[in-house]
This record gives sequence, structure tokens and C-alpha cells, in this order.
Amino acid sequence: MKRRFPLMLVFILGILGIMPYFVPHGGYQNFDNALRNDFIRILSAFAIILGLVSLMRVHHDKIRRKRENWQYSYVLIIGFVVSGVIGLLGGIKGEMFLPTNVAGFHFDIQTLYLNIIVPLGSTMFALLAFFMASASYRAFRARSVESSLLLSAAFVIMIGVLPLADRISTHLPSFAQWIMDIPNVAAKRGITFGIALGGIATSLKIILGIERSWLGGKE
Amino acid sequence: MTFVILSGIFALAPPTGVHAFDTPNDGGGAITIEWQISADDETIEGYEIYRSEDGKEFEPVGFVGRGRTQYEDDTDDTKEYVYKVAALQNSQTAHSEPTPPIRSRSQWFDMTSANLLIGVIIFCSMILYFINQAKKGKALYIRKISGLDAVDEAVGRATEMGRPILYSMGIGRVDYIATIASFNILGEIAKKTGQYETSLLVPTSDPVVYTVAREIVKEAYATIGRPDLFDSDKVYFVTDSQFAYAAAVDGVMLREKPAANFFIGYFKAESLILAETGASTGAIQIAGTDQVTQLPFFVTACDFTLIGEELYAASAYISKEPLLLGAIKGEDLGKVVIFSALVIASLIGILTRFPILKLFQ
Amino acid sequence: MKIIEKLSRLDRRIVYLVLAAAVLLPLVIPSVQKVRVMTPVAKLFKAVDATPDDRIIILDFDYDPQTLPEIEPMGIALLRHAFKRKIKVAVLSLYVQPLGLAKKALDQVTEEFNGRAESREDSIIYGRDYVFLGWQPPPIVPLLGMGISITNVYTRDYYGLRTDSLPLMLKVKNFNDVGILVSLSGSTAPLYWVSYSQTRFGVAVGAGITAVSASEFYQYYQTGQFSGLMIGMKGAAEYEELVESNLLLKDRRKASEALGSLTAAHLTMIAFIVIGNVGYFIRRRRERRQP
Repeated sequence: MKRRFPLMLVFILGILGIMPYFVPHGGYQNFDNALRNDFIRILSAFAIILGLVSLMRVHHDKIRRKRENWQYSYVLIIGFVVSGVIGLLGGIKGEMFLPTNVAGFHFDIQTLYLNIIVPLGSTMFALLAFFMASASYRAFRARSVESSLLLSAAFVIMIGVLPLADRISTHLPSFAQWIMDIPNVAAKRGITFGIALGGIATSLKIILGIERSWLGGKE
Repeated sequence: MTFVILSGIFALAPPTGVHAFDTPNDGGGAITIEWQISADDETIEGYEIYRSEDGKEFEPVGFVGRGRTQYEDDTDDTKEYVYKVAALQNSQTAHSEPTPPIRSRSQWFDMTSANLLIGVIIFCSMILYFINQAKKGKALYIRKISGLDAVDEAVGRATEMGRPILYSMGIGRVDYIATIASFNILGEIAKKTGQYETSLLVPTSDPVVYTVAREIVKEAYATIGRPDLFDSDKVYFVTDSQFAYAAAVDGVMLREKPAANFFIGYFKAESLILAETGASTGAIQIAGTDQVTQLPFFVTACDFTLIGEELYAASAYISKEPLLLGAIKGEDLGKVVIFSALVIASLIGILTRFPILKLFQ
Repeated sequence: MKIIEKLSRLDRRIVYLVLAAAVLLPLVIPSVQKVRVMTPVAKLFKAVDATPDDRIIILDFDYDPQTLPEIEPMGIALLRHAFKRKIKVAVLSLYVQPLGLAKKALDQVTEEFNGRAESREDSIIYGRDYVFLGWQPPPIVPLLGMGISITNVYTRDYYGLRTDSLPLMLKVKNFNDVGILVSLSGSTAPLYWVSYSQTRFGVAVGAGITAVSASEFYQYYQTGQFSGLMIGMKGAAEYEELVESNLLLKDRRKASEALGSLTAAHLTMIAFIVIGNVGYFIRRRRERRQP
């Protein structure tokens, strides 16, 4: 029963999930909407509690056992508590009980977000350029015919999009454009077909209970 | 007098042939009104749609620009309506004849999706047929996927070095197909790490994904008879913020120095940030995603990459379960069908360019 | 030989340092690079340029701070184009975060034009030449609702004014009165306009996107669902080039200035790849000689 029940649930909910694509009836659509929007939101809300408990436990444990870099766990826990209190009691722009503007100094959630999360996010995004450089330097090797082709295509695109490409040859930018327009789109469409079919097959296997690795494998 | 004659000559022509019908293939609450454009369509501003419940008092319910011949009105399924359409020019309007009364209804089947349903049924039948073949014991061939052959090597190496294995599922939600495929692989990898008693770290970025991943690892250990190995602090939730998650996983890689990193699931711009940091620690890296734009990054920075559907096939490949292999065979046949359709359509497309072969047009 | 071998095994921190220098130095002394305009951008320019007098264009500002450097120059170039040609513009965002960035771009370009205007006719006036519709959640509401009535979806603009009181909006009812809608985004927002608004109401859609996400959009451009595309810094620079050469507008071209940096970064990466490969070949040859 411990295994059969989840499998049955997956089967029933899987079929119910496919039906709204074919059944436009208002009553059924409302039911589907409740299932997708309301139930998933309620589930997520409880899952967030579980997730946060797990996060706190991991860091609490790290501090208790004084594992490597345990000091940083204090940063996390203090950050969690402070932003939680400001967000829950102060509201997004400080419109609730907690005053988030002291003598012209704002510390509401919106301000914290714009001045901490946004620049940190941009910094991580900018790191990509450096990682691209080091990854291509380390790994782009003309080991075989295929990798040489790939490398040549990369050079054509990288130079083709530069203003100086025109000075090398007027055909170079057009060739770069052609690579993006034709071989790139063709390959992408091919992979998309495979992904779509694979997606259907994976869903079918799970709905029918053939794939049960997510249950820890066969009994 | 002159004015009357002029306005008689230049009277605005109303739209003609106005008819209203229940919008087909919908959940009710809509009526479609269609008409033929007014003779003065070029000069008018557009068409105003009027509605009445009693056939006497009409009120405007919508407006569309000139040249358009259709309008969909939101309705109440319990009421009957009569419609009129008027051409509008400056302050002048020209009303059409009213339509007969009409009521909107809900449909139980969307005929426009019939082709989709037939396609899905045919494709699913193919998969089921091959699964059935596999059940009967027919041996099925699956080509080598080197990324998955390396799983054993990665687990073995981690065991020898006494270092953990990192498994990241990216930033996908639980309903993304890549996340689901990643769950299947996680189950298999957890079993292997359990057999060697190697530690498995699973930082997650979605609370629901976290709860499922935790159960999978727990079940996998239970399946191999080692439920005691499960440590709830090794599978944990970090944050749902994309780059904060990337920073956290980078941190784990730099501090714990896992011997093998798996990046399997749904990834966006953080793919290279993770893979390149992992490469700098010297770990064996196996990646897999169906996000085409991230594949080049993984291919460059990882030792092995599962491309698109290889990711979906992975659990069948690792477990060598015949029923799962059957499903892959079905997928392949599906691809053959699509490929043939494309080739035939392209051929017809090319052939119609030759005047002699007008036959195909 | 030894030097090349050493160069091919540089520490990654040196790679980062060299790249940082290559990116930063050209930005210190900005100079405008001339570019050749490629078809996707030329098509977009033509589509905007062909907007008849009785129609407007809609600019959807949907980029966030992460992608601002790449996409903002596109928005600015489009605004300059429209204002110079006296094409009426409606600006909006599908999400809340880009609103501030949209306002920043609008303020910059209106100031440019009004700073050198000699008469009321020359200046760019809110409500007459452009409107800022703001944000109306969830995205599906404007995507579909604007096909029926724009003023019904956005009853009030960003500044809280009633949209049906603005002179520009009096003649604009729905997508029928829109020449083209250009969506500027670091994510997939342009695809929403195609799948919802274009499929249902036939509005022409153009897009400005980041270089890294470009391969996702090409297939829709090929099928004609996008009237034109601006891709990354180079696409923005091409549009700036068209605006300057066709409309004789001499304003600051941020994307074109950044091309120097982009060129240096690309060349540095190519150089690193070449060095890495030369080192690899030397090693391989030696290993073959001494098995």
C-alpha cells in the first residue's frame, strides 16, 4: 500500500492534468484551475516552511559543530531573521506596523532588494564573461574534425559580430549571420523535437507507473 | 434640401450578413459575431457591436477597427442575446439588421485539439507497444551514452578519495520535465552512493523540489537496505533566488571539494558559473539539461553532458530496466515519423517550385 | 616554444585579469565604432519607419538591471527614431521591475529633444507625442486586452492621469492602430507578444534581446513572426548607426561606444583560445614523438 497509493495518486492526477487541454467545459476548467493554482500554492506554502526549517537546521548544526567557515552561518541566520522581521512587519514599502524610515534612512524590503539583491545579482551575471573566457581557454581544443568545425564556427561568430569584421571581409558578417540563421536554427529545432517527444514519453512512463525511480526504484 | 440629397448619396453603408453563434470549442460564456465589411470600410473608424437581451434596448459592448469581420463577446450562459453591428464614422453610425436570439454554451470536447489528441494517442500507443515487447523479454538495444557510463567511475573515484558527491538540480520547479528526469537520475545515483557509503550532497533551490528530493534519497537508501545512511542535512533547501543559489553551490564546491559534480535538471545563466567553478576544483563533472541555450556552456566546462532527451533516457540507461528501454524505443519511432513528415513536406515544398509539378500545389 | 607552452597553461586568475583590462580600457576612452547594419536590424528600422501618421508604435520595456547595459541603448535608439520622425509612442512594461528603467530612458530622450527644441512644435510633449502607460498585472491582461481596447486595460497612465483624456490616446483604440510593437527584454517576453497578441490580433512585433538568448528567437524571426530583431550590443549599435545616418541625429551612442570593449573582449578570448590550442598541439606532437 505504501507504494501503491502514490502510484495511484500520480495516475489519477496525471490524467486529470491532461484533460483540460481537450475539455473546454467551464466546470472542468474551474476544477483544474483550483487544482493547479490553489492546491499547488497551498502545497508550496507548506514546502517553504519545510525548506526554511531545513536551511536553518543545516546552519545551526554547522555553528554547533564549528564546521569549516561556521562563522558565515551567523550571517545567514541574522540576514534571515532581519529580512523576515522587516518584510513581515514592515510590508514591502514600510506601509505596515514597523517603521522602516528612520531620519531619512530607508530600510524597507524594496530598498533592501534594490540595493543588495539587484547589485549582487548583476555581479554574478557579470562573472559569466570571465568564466566564459577561462572555460573556452581551457577547454576549446581542436581535438577532432568536429571540434575543429565548432571552433571555426565560434571564431566566425565572434569576429563576425564585431565592427572590424567588415574590414577583414564584407562577407564575414553575412556568413556569421548565415550560421546563426540556418545551421543554428536547424540544430535547435532538431533538439526541440527530441525534447518534446522525450517529455511526453517521460510523463507517460510516470503516469503509468513504469518509471518509479522517484519512489526510490522498484520494490 | 441639398443636405438631405448629399447625405442620401453619401449615407454610410452598414456591415451586412451579420450573424451570431455560440463560440465553438470553448467553456461557454462567449458568443462570436461575424459580418461582411461595410462598403465604406476604407473610410470608417471601425465597427461598434451592440447587444440586447430583450431585442429592443441595445447597448454597445465592443469595438473593433476597420477591416475586421469578427468580434467575440463575453456573455452569460443563462441569457439569450440579440446583436447588431454598426459602422462608425465620426459621429455617424450605420446599424445592421439584428441577429436572431442566441445563447452561449459550454462544450465538453475541443475539436480544434482533436489532431493533437490523435497524435498523442498514436505516440503513446507506440511507446506502450514497445514496453509490451520489452515485457515479453525482447532484447532492446540502447546506444552508449558516455556521460552515464561515467557515473560509476565518478562514484568510485569519490569513494577512493573519501570525498562527497554533489548533485544539483538547478533552478527548475517540480513540474518541469527536466526536474522530473533529474529526480529519476537522483534515485539511481543515491543507490550507487549508498552501496559505497559515499556522502551525497543535494542543495536545492525550490522548496517543493527539496521535499521530493529528500524523499527520493531516503527511499533509495531504504531500497538498498541502508536506511541508516540517510542524513537529512545532506539534502537541503538553499534559496529560490537564481544567483544566490549559484553562489551557495559554488561555495559548497570550494569548501567541500566534491570528487564529482552532477548538474542535472533545469539551468539558466548560472550553468557556466557552476560548471566553471566545479572545473577549477578538479572534480569529474557530469551535466544534463534540456535548456538548449545552456548546453554549449556545459559541453565546454564539463567532462560529460547529457543533451536534451539523453537526460530523459538516463534513468532507463542506468537502471537497465527493460520496460524503460521499451519507452525509449517508442520515442525513437516517434522521431522517425516526425522526420519522415518533415522530409515529405520539404520535398513537396521544393517540388511545387517547378512549374511542371504544379500537381502538388 | 617554452613561452607558448607556459602561456597555454596560465592560471585562470591571470585570464580574468587580462580580460578585465581588455573590457575596461576601451571604456575609459570611449570612441564610436562604425558598424555594418545586418538585415534583422534593418528590417526593424524599416518597420518602425513605415508607421503611418494615424498609427502609433508601442515600446515594451521589459529588461531588468542585469541586462540594462545591453538593452537600454536599443530603447533609447528607438525613442530617438520615433521622436525625430514624429511617430507617436506608447511605452509600457509587462512587469513591475523594469518601470523605473523605462522612465529613466524616456526622461533621457525627451530631455535631449526638448533641450534643443526651438518651438513648441519641435519639442516632445507628454500626451501629444508619447504616453507612458505603466504596468498592468498580470501580463496576460495587456497581452490580450489591448487587442480590444488599450484605454480599458490602462485606464490610468504611469502618472495616474486618465488615459482617455490624453490627446494621443483619443485616436488610438486597439492593436489596429498600432504600426509595430517592439519588445525589449532579457527574457522571453517578446515571445509572449507573438504567441498571444500577434496570433490573436495580428499586431506586428519586433524584439530587442540579449546576445546570449538570441538563438531562442531566430526561429520566430525566420518564420516572419518577428518583423525585425536587435541582438545584443551589436544590434543596438546597428540601430544607433541607422538613426544617426538616416535621421542625422548626433547624440551619444552608448552601444557603439561599448563596441570597442566588446571587440577587445572577443579578441582577447580568441587569442586565449588560439594560445591554448597552439600549446595543445605542441604538447601532442612531443607526446607522439616520445611515446
